[in-house]
Amino acid sequence: MRALLFSDKLAFSEMMASLLRDGFDIDILAFPDHAADLTGYGAKEIKGMEKEDYAADSLADFIAGMSKDYDYIFIGATVLGREAATMLSALTGNVMKSEITKIEISGGKARTSRLYYGGKTVLEEESDAKIFTVSQGLVEPSRTAASSKTTKVVNQKTSKITVGEKIEKPSTSVDITKASVIVSIGRGIGKKEGIEKIKELATLLHGELAGSRPICSDYHWLEVERQVGLSGKTVSPKIYMAIGISGQIQHVAGMRNSKTVIAINNDKTAPIFQECDYGIVGDLYSVVPLLINAIKQTGQS
Amino acid sequence: MPYNIIVCVKQIADEVRIDPSTNEPVISNPQYRMEDLSKNAVEEAVRIKEKYGGKITALMFCSDSSTPVMKEALAMGADEGIIITGYKENSPDFSAAVLAEKIKSLQYDIVIAGYASADSYTAQIPARLSKLLGVPLLGSAIKVDISGKKIDILREADDLDIKESADMPAVISVTQETNQPRLPLLANIIASARKPLKVEATAVQYKETSKIISDKAQQSSRKRIIYEDINKGVQEITKVLKQEVAV
Repeated sequence: MRALLFSDKLAFSEMMASLLRDGFDIDILAFPDHAADLTGYGAKEIKGMEKEDYAADSLADFIAGMSKDYDYIFIGATVLGREAATMLSALTGNVMKSEITKIEISGGKARTSRLYYGGKTVLEEESDAKIFTVSQGLVEPSRTAASSKTTKVVNQKTSKITVGEKIEKPSTSVDITKASVIVSIGRGIGKKEGIEKIKELATLLHGELAGSRPICSDYHWLEVERQVGLSGKTVSPKIYMAIGISGQIQHVAGMRNSKTVIAINNDKTAPIFQECDYGIVGDLYSVVPLLINAIKQTGQS
Repeated sequence: MPYNIIVCVKQIADEVRIDPSTNEPVISNPQYRMEDLSKNAVEEAVRIKEKYGGKITALMFCSDSSTPVMKEALAMGADEGIIITGYKENSPDFSAAVLAEKIKSLQYDIVIAGYASADSYTAQIPARLSKLLGVPLLGSAIKVDISGKKIDILREADDLDIKESADMPAVISVTQETNQPRLPLLANIIASARKPLKVEATAVQYKETSKIISDKAQQSSRKRIIYEDINKGVQEITKVLKQEVAV
């Protein structure tokens, strides 16, 4: 079974290749800057585009032209990827499944899983789908010994929209998906100044600071790159500390694969206590300083 | 200049309960609410109308003919409502076909929809509408500027913000950052009852493209050791941290 993979994000292509190379003969379609980096991830061929294309419609037209050579098309679930995949489905008439977390082909049917009801359930489906968007962070990208053939493909850009200036977000270039310890805060923190104490804990644990959607997207107390959850990043650290996070399902969906989850919350009934390994019921402003002291002491012993 | 705006509104179950005996969602007789980004879509439509004038048609595809969600859209500022019945869950291609069929019969300059819905999160509707209507998609817009027939947006695309533009008619999809949806005033809620509302069943044929094998809540296998004694908790958790991290 031949599959073509595409993402506008390099790390996403690496992840998808690592996930899919055992089940499919994969080729990767890549933006010009990404092609060289992708050769060691198990693809037969890297098709480096002559120019990058951030317009979903022309990108979909281009992929549609190549799709007859492939049984399946996998596209990383980014903003551009979701739109391009959907347009590809509309253009080719092939069935599409969104945001898949698992796939198995059996008897010509695709058996896929994805989160549903805002992450509350997992929907397992069987379909004739040929096009998929793939959720991010499903596996750790890994290289293979074999290298790939690299070719150049010429893409035409005829779009109904005009793509102008691209502005890199003011980023701390933090990548919480790579952190082995994450100290994450939620609405329970109450005030922006409270973050300082949590930062001290994170530093002590050599961890990264993260937050729930209200903290990152609504209050902007932390950069949006630090948002964990369905609308943010999916993380799988060794330790995930949820401090003042109630544990809404949208948040849990982003940290479910963490090895050990520790929760601190003053509400005994908070759903996070169902999703943690260790929990303390108490005011975070009392618990966190005690914890910092205790860690410092054991550090010295 | 005034614009004809169509805003697509979705309703979703207010809360999906999990039946502990089957681990499956309970979806009979749900309470519905307006989907999160549909609120941003209605808000953006109303803001454009307030600035330039025009008419807003709220379009819903759902299973029931009378819904408080449409009333809310009208109370927020939509001028008229169209409800199409015959909704099938988990079928974004069908939903888009039904919506596009109706939109084609209306006069429009701008179609606004949420980027993705909070329940199913396929994010397919805006891109499908764009293709079915044959008009440009300005997707994931966090800022919308209009001048004459031209639309400029700032698009949020993961770690990039991108300036994009297109001519009307066009589809715009919006996110939570686009605006802050208003709460309808009581007077507007009352007045919305007099706004025109049409209900019709869809004539588009539904074609099943997938079969659901299971839909269950994820089982958590966490230890769930909870300390209500703070000092004891700090002591034990410090041990765990010490084991896992070199501190």
